[in-house]
Amino acid sequence: MNPIATLLDPRTKRRLTIGAGVLVVLALAYRFLYPVVFNAYVGKTNAPLTYESSQTLTEAEFEALAQSLSEEARRLKAESVVAEDQDPFARQVKVEMLMNTESFIRDTQPSHIKYFREAGIRQYEGPKTCLTCHATIEVDHPDGTRSTVDTLDDLVNSVHFKFQSSAGGFSTYGYDGRQVNAGPHKIPVGKIDRACGIPGSFTWTGWAALVASRPEHVEEGEVVLRSEGCGQCHIGGNYQPATEKMMPVGDVPSMAKEGIDCLICHARDYDMNQRVVIRDEYGLRWDQDRSLRAALTVGPISSETCLRCHQHNMGGDVYEHNAAAQALGYKHQRLLHRGAKRGNPFSPEDDAHAAAGIQCTDCHRPEGHKIPRGRMGVDLVANDLPDKEVSCETCHTQAPHNNSRDKALLNGHIARLACETCHIPRLEDNNVVLRDWVHPTWDAEEGIWEPTDVYRSGEPGKGFTYLWFNGNGTFLANALGNNPNGADTYDPLMQQIARIDDPEIIAAVRAKAIELKAQYPDIDVERYVQMATDPLSQLSPEMLERRRAMIQANLRAAMNDGESRIYPFKLFNAMMYEDMSNQGPFGAMILPFDYTTYYETGDTQAAVKRAIQDPIVQRMYQEPFKLYMMDEFMAYFGVSGGWKTIYPLVDGQLVNVEPHWMRQMGTLMVNHGIQRQGHDCADCHAPNGLMDFELLGYTPERIAELQDPELLRQPPVNETMANAETPAPSVP
Amino acid sequence: MNDQVISAGTGGWLALGLLLLSVLPGAMPQAEAAIQGRLGTDNADCLRCHRMETLGYRDPRTGDLVDLHVDGRQFGHSAHGELQCIDCHEGDFGQYPHPESVLGQQLDCVGCHQELHKADKRAYTFKTIEQEFALSIHAVSDSPKAEGFDCHRCHDPHAFRNSEVGQPIAEIVRAGNQLCLSCHKKIRDPHSTAHLWLPKRDKHWQSVRCLDCHTPLTDPGQPVSHQILAAKDSNFDCVSCHSKEARLLGRLYQYRSETDLAGGGWLSKAVFNEAYVVGMSRSPLLDALGLGVIGLTLLVLIAHGWGRYRAYRRLREDRS
Repeated sequence: MNPIATLLDPRTKRRLTIGAGVLVVLALAYRFLYPVVFNAYVGKTNAPLTYESSQTLTEAEFEALAQSLSEEARRLKAESVVAEDQDPFARQVKVEMLMNTESFIRDTQPSHIKYFREAGIRQYEGPKTCLTCHATIEVDHPDGTRSTVDTLDDLVNSVHFKFQSSAGGFSTYGYDGRQVNAGPHKIPVGKIDRACGIPGSFTWTGWAALVASRPEHVEEGEVVLRSEGCGQCHIGGNYQPATEKMMPVGDVPSMAKEGIDCLICHARDYDMNQRVVIRDEYGLRWDQDRSLRAALTVGPISSETCLRCHQHNMGGDVYEHNAAAQALGYKHQRLLHRGAKRGNPFSPEDDAHAAAGIQCTDCHRPEGHKIPRGRMGVDLVANDLPDKEVSCETCHTQAPHNNSRDKALLNGHIARLACETCHIPRLEDNNVVLRDWVHPTWDAEEGIWEPTDVYRSGEPGKGFTYLWFNGNGTFLANALGNNPNGADTYDPLMQQIARIDDPEIIAAVRAKAIELKAQYPDIDVERYVQMATDPLSQLSPEMLERRRAMIQANLRAAMNDGESRIYPFKLFNAMMYEDMSNQGPFGAMILPFDYTTYYETGDTQAAVKRAIQDPIVQRMYQEPFKLYMMDEFMAYFGVSGGWKTIYPLVDGQLVNVEPHWMRQMGTLMVNHGIQRQGHDCADCHAPNGLMDFELLGYTPERIAELQDPELLRQPPVNETMANAETPAPSVP
Repeated sequence: MNDQVISAGTGGWLALGLLLLSVLPGAMPQAEAAIQGRLGTDNADCLRCHRMETLGYRDPRTGDLVDLHVDGRQFGHSAHGELQCIDCHEGDFGQYPHPESVLGQQLDCVGCHQELHKADKRAYTFKTIEQEFALSIHAVSDSPKAEGFDCHRCHDPHAFRNSEVGQPIAEIVRAGNQLCLSCHKKIRDPHSTAHLWLPKRDKHWQSVRCLDCHTPLTDPGQPVSHQILAAKDSNFDCVSCHSKEARLLGRLYQYRSETDLAGGGWLSKAVFNEAYVVGMSRSPLLDALGLGVIGLTLLVLIAHGWGRYRAYRRLREDRS
């Protein structure tokens, strides 16, 4: 039978029709049924989003707003142009003349005034409004090519929106020795499914919370609602993070995409006071500034826009030049996190590059909405452009020192030292090193229970240390690298980041433990100090042995990979509740806290119980999740035997849950807060300098060389003079 | 690294001297401890600093990077590997900072090599090199880039070693050409029109040194001259290479024979020797096929002769 006849055969026809029908049904099910089923499964909500600040303006109101924005912008610029050293009245007259010059108006007033006026846009309605004109954007790639991409797609698939990535190519290694997501089984990794910068919370359980605080200045019995949660720094305006994106199929529903906050990055004039948690009939979510005022000030990305969120993880929330932290909200003010995550601010006051007017995107050069964070990734967070370099050398070359007599020698250091090693002499004082989440402290001023920062310091050797780093990191953010001499005496996971020997720190921890004992009489001060400063003491001898073996067998290759240089690393450890059914030599699965319960009652166990009842945590302890990602997650975590789905809450009691410090400190890269004047030679090369050369794997002979007292001395004045008087060589 | 090292010669030292002069009096921060002191003048002492891979600075006059790094291992294998640093770098280098009086030295190869006792035993003396170089385009050009051109621009004294018989030809060609191309960067530009007249330009670049064409013909047995020719004076004559008596190529292939001998034995070298004229194949496969055809023909001839001989013998026996 010829093919045409076969096709025309009634039986075949019927089969084809059935086949097509099944396909259509599947497609419809995927389109309409899957999102509903998925949401029901993970217990998440999606609903149409409305924002109070999104108001329609009348023609007259629009013009008045346009007038005031234009005037504001022109005045600012004119004042920066007109010379200051003249009679104030004369200057004022000149400023106003300049402000009203035709070309000055054209070049200075926010460009979107004209666009909106012509397009008749009188209300800002979120992404919908932006996409009216910017449905696609041109993306420049480093190889010189240009492509056109769908703007919304580009953004929705960026780490800024989905906080995770399943793409490989990232330099994180599991403790089992495998590069994360290099194999065929890829799991979503990133902020979405790991303890966040505020450990003890997951984005799912800690997305948006309204905390009833009882500050001392309000009357007894009254409460002040405060906003808290991971969602404040993330651009999705939904009731939860973009969970759908963690699945191999499916997409975020379009109503969730309507919640994307374009303006927090793109508007020059964004009111951070709008960024607070609000409650509607579906639940809690983060509000945003959707005023036409903000939308009209859309302009190029600048450091100022990035820092609305990112100063939080650099200078910190209580850093005095954190502009966003000055606008906490008209209501439900955001809670400030007091211990700084890194304590290396990016601001003109404290960073040489910011002072020079350099913008974030000058180094982190975006490709569309994908923004590179460089190839040196120590902390396991997703990276949109893992191959794109962000480094000092790109601009400064390998010979950056031009100003010093010793410039050649200083440049010589670059082969072994990262620029940051000298040029970040210290971090902010409130840089938190040890944080106890299990024994919170009452903050009378804010009226909440806060995790206790057992030790904070910005000093080198205390708040941060120096480690070899080749760009690789472990699954729990430990910098990997090795002394180029290949020594295996360098073993940070057993030494530098697994114990604290500094007597000053130990004394400070002991003092804090004694202080805590007043509140928590069960604390055994000595054991507390030991666990905090020698976290390996929490491991059984067998576990310790396994840890040693795993470091040697699994991590040495990743440590010896590539070229290592010495970098500064902020150190961090925290005491949290752990699910001991899923413990390995490097730590156990950390359990989240429910913010509201935690802050309001200080009852940490109750906070854990509440948080792990969140549907998605329950799902985590079930078979599909285990197979989909948790087994793999645990393997990278160094826990053998796969994920144990023993749900740690039975009859309202926590089972096999214990408070522990992580078995080693996490190491976070610090790259900002760059000072022009770096460390002095003697800071490292004098005996007992900043660096422990022995722990860094140097041989005794080399250490003697590095700390040769013959070389490091104050030049006597007469010697300098004698040198200067030597006749000059004849120079053609 | 090559191009950087090259400028580390005299230009670099001069600039460092200049710079130190301008910086030293009074500008040094008095309050801070500084690196200063006596080190000794063993190679190991020098390498304590000079082995730093990024030891160098930017010449404020030109903006170019002056690389002061010496790769100890590479130096050990170089033609000068047996020498002490201070054999060439005379003066009190044993202290840091080096006194500026010693930094202005102009080191020159010929001066040193001419005095060596073995100097006049060489077939190709440094005196000749000096004479040839004096006529070189690098010496006579009035381009500002060629100003102060000296041996070190091409020959890094800390890494240079003569090509040796037995070294793979491809390696010699690559290393030699890299040296030229580190300055003559534009040649590599895909839009460059230089050498377009050459058939299979890229192939030529892979197999022949720039020097083979850009130096005058030399007597058989002599290495390439140091008289680098300007583009217009260079060899355009294909036959200089593509002929039985390839005088240009012979200089390159002098390094080759032993590898060939080792690889194929003297007989195959004698047979293959790739002696040919323009128009013939340079493909070893075609050479082998051609030889095969000749061999087969010979075999057929011999077999035929043998057959004829046997037939003749049988005829004789029959008759008898």
